[in-house]
Amino acid sequence: MTKEKINNNFSDLEKDILQEIMNIAFGKASADLAELIDIYVLLSVPDIKIIGMGSLPDYIKNTISAYKEVSIVDQKFWGDFNGSGILLFQNSAGRDLITILEDRSYKNFEINSLVTLEKEIFLEIGNILIGACVGKIAELLNTFVTYSPPLVFDENSDGYGSFPQSFDPFQTAIIMKTIFKFKQKNIDGLLLIITNQESIGWLQKNLHRFLDSYQ
Amino acid sequence: MIFAQIFEMINTGIVILDKDLKVYKWNKWMEIHSKISADQIVGASLFTFFPDLNTAWFLRSFKSVFSFGNFLFFSQKLHRYCFPFKAVNILGLNFEYMQQSCTMGPLRDKNNQIEYIFITVQDVTEIAAYEQKLIEMNVKDGLTGIYNRRYLEVRLKDEIKRAKRYSRPLSLIMIDIDFFKKINDIYGHQCGDYVLKTFSTLISSVMRKIDIFARYGGEEFCCVLPETCLLSATKVAEKFRKRVEKEIFNFDGKQMKITISQGVSERTEKITSADDLLKKADHALYEAKRLGRNKVFAIE
Repeated sequence: MTKEKINNNFSDLEKDILQEIMNIAFGKASADLAELIDIYVLLSVPDIKIIGMGSLPDYIKNTISAYKEVSIVDQKFWGDFNGSGILLFQNSAGRDLITILEDRSYKNFEINSLVTLEKEIFLEIGNILIGACVGKIAELLNTFVTYSPPLVFDENSDGYGSFPQSFDPFQTAIIMKTIFKFKQKNIDGLLLIITNQESIGWLQKNLHRFLDSYQ
Repeated sequence: MIFAQIFEMINTGIVILDKDLKVYKWNKWMEIHSKISADQIVGASLFTFFPDLNTAWFLRSFKSVFSFGNFLFFSQKLHRYCFPFKAVNILGLNFEYMQQSCTMGPLRDKNNQIEYIFITVQDVTEIAAYEQKLIEMNVKDGLTGIYNRRYLEVRLKDEIKRAKRYSRPLSLIMIDIDFFKKINDIYGHQCGDYVLKTFSTLISSVMRKIDIFARYGGEEFCCVLPETCLLSATKVAEKFRKRVEKEIFNFDGKQMKITISQGVSERTEKITSADDLLKKADHALYEAKRLGRNKVFAIE
């Protein structure tokens, strides 16, 4: 393993520890989702990228535009470990997701339209998936985070165009990217966990602490 | 001490539950709105007092917060409310129950272990009532109370997209009241307004709930039928025609009958915009009139 230092002094070793933490965290998250709330989701091996100053808005823009007809769920989290969880779903997934949560008697709720219902479903699933993944990472790093309410939008929403710009270009960010797939239905999407510069120092310290606890 | 006072004074409901769904804390706000005192409920299972909360989604949320430490936000838009409390706001009279925005999250002990979960309850009835009024003003036609043209155009666009995405059928009926100008000329505009209103109520009462019925212009109306092919839509139009033909309109001691002409179109591969579908239905409507009115004409 090369010990070459990369952007913002985040070493390859640190990247490897983070990768390992994510593997464990996502494994636990999907096991718990299945066991506790009957949501069966497969999470791919996460890909970690360190994005330098100035590149974050473009990275987000390119990632989003690679998908057509996409709905985006964005949820901020903060604590020692802070940043954003972003989920990308194909719009057509909305209807299938409704059936996954079928036992939730949506009939009881007055819904203006199917479009509204789909949006709310994206929010709910997004909230759970982001919460499970981020929560497990935080747990392994011996901390906890709090969350702001998630937002959902698609190409037709007002916030769509300006979304990539909402990320500070002067920040170095760590992007953890994974593809998720629901077992019950053929639905997949992309989960990005972006943590910003403020938490990188803290993260490095705790990654080493994590490693030490195994040595 | 100070926090205990805030806990009781804050204008938000706060409930704290333990792992077994037993109530650990119940603040004043909850006492006032539920009419259940903390003495009664603390130590008891939440479901004893609120059996309706014993649903798959509530348990799922509860378990998820306990195991992931995440926050859950129950929006008023989807859930309306978690706790069935009487609406107290004057503006909220359209709502039987207080509209609530609720949050559920973890409470940890010194070792970061989740010991309790909290639920906060905010009364958003007033906001929901304003929103409802604004939406109504924006999407409804002032005279007839059915949807307006702007709403029709927005929804038709959405529905065309949906139909395309899932390859589902979608049809449109365009309706025109025959010789409507004569009613205005003979009986006066008030009578004309009465006919438009009564006609709108009549159609609304016979159509399916998922269809979108709107006033398109003066005496022209449109009905969008999702998940419906041309043949079924034509049958619906025929039902409308028969029902209207049968109806006797009473205004100011005078009795009158009206008939309607209707054009029906269905979305095909070639049709990509709302405009195209409207044009095709308009063309069919023209044919229905040319054939002598009180007719349904469908274009493949």
